[in-house]
Amino acid sequence: MPEVTARGLRFHVQECGTGPPVVVFVHGLAIDNLSSFYYTLASPVAEVGARCVLYDLRGHGLTERTPTGYGVSDAVADLFAVLDALGHYRVHLVGYSFGGAVALNAALAHPGRVAGLVLIDAHGPGDGPGWNEDFLNRLAQSALKLEHERIADQLLAFGERRMSRVAATADALLNRTTLLDDLAAMDPVRPAQLTTLSCPVLAVYGQHSDVADAGRLILRHVPDCALHTMAGHTHFVLPAGTAEILEVLLPWLAHHAGTRVPAAGAAR
Amino acid sequence: MSDIPRMNDIRSEVVRMLIDVVGEDFLLDVEIGPGTTFGDDLGLESIEFVALVDRLRAHYGDRADFPGFIAGLDLDQLVNLTVGDVVDHIAAQERAHA
Repeated sequence: MPEVTARGLRFHVQECGTGPPVVVFVHGLAIDNLSSFYYTLASPVAEVGARCVLYDLRGHGLTERTPTGYGVSDAVADLFAVLDALGHYRVHLVGYSFGGAVALNAALAHPGRVAGLVLIDAHGPGDGPGWNEDFLNRLAQSALKLEHERIADQLLAFGERRMSRVAATADALLNRTTLLDDLAAMDPVRPAQLTTLSCPVLAVYGQHSDVADAGRLILRHVPDCALHTMAGHTHFVLPAGTAEILEVLLPWLAHHAGTRVPAAGAAR
Repeated sequence: MSDIPRMNDIRSEVVRMLIDVVGEDFLLDVEIGPGTTFGDDLGLESIEFVALVDRLRAHYGDRADFPGFIAGLDLDQLVNLTVGDVVDHIAAQERAHA
């Protein structure tokens, strides 16, 4: 398994394609890992001439699980430590859901290292109290169900090995680490901060996503921003919306990162 | 023309790598043939399939082009991918580079 050690932790990393540019993919929480990008966006982005970097966040996929350290600031520090270990300095970031919050905060913390941002149904931006209350409530409900209904064991008893393992990982993260507390302590990225973003941003949000307001805040306040709304989609735009995302992502990368312009209809 | 003994060797190698990824205990209960799917039959998590592809690349080298092989499949094909599909791909690449 390809891995790097960063901040004393073993991170599972996959790289493909040759660059520059370097495009780094940051996945979502709990049930997610790098495979959601590995099977969808990474190969087509590598094909147009980018070095793609995918890694499993702390406690996710095949990266080590620690008891603590799941807040966004630790995730940003982990990201740059992984990039340092791989020898990448200036990169484009593609983040989905919580991975979008990580990417956005990374660009604000180190503007010199982030050349562009692609935020796919990203959490993070907010302009009022309770900005992530629904999100936290849903995660807390999942945590209770996973523990009290012993969902992982039940799925395994029914012969559903794959879903059982996904549930077991989510159970371990939500019930046996500080992840929920760390997320509850997270501050939103406020409009005043969004106005300071110096890199170009492509925001892609599902029309019926519960975090679609974040997309509207990004469009209103980020100086150099394009917003693409995916008609009929909820928060879960991957893998179902892969072809549509590629139709906006590949031309955007060609313009802002200097990758090759994809042939018409090349996106699957 | 397919080389049956070589295909059987490749299948044994792929099964050995599968055991590395998912553990022997689980696979003891499963009869693995060419039609066995990684998803429904073996219950492989998508991240475990990534780990299997790593082992395949390490064993057969980059000329087997697994990233290209995977990129050429749509999601339905990926979900229904069989042990036989992977064995056929490896054998075809070996013949092409022989």
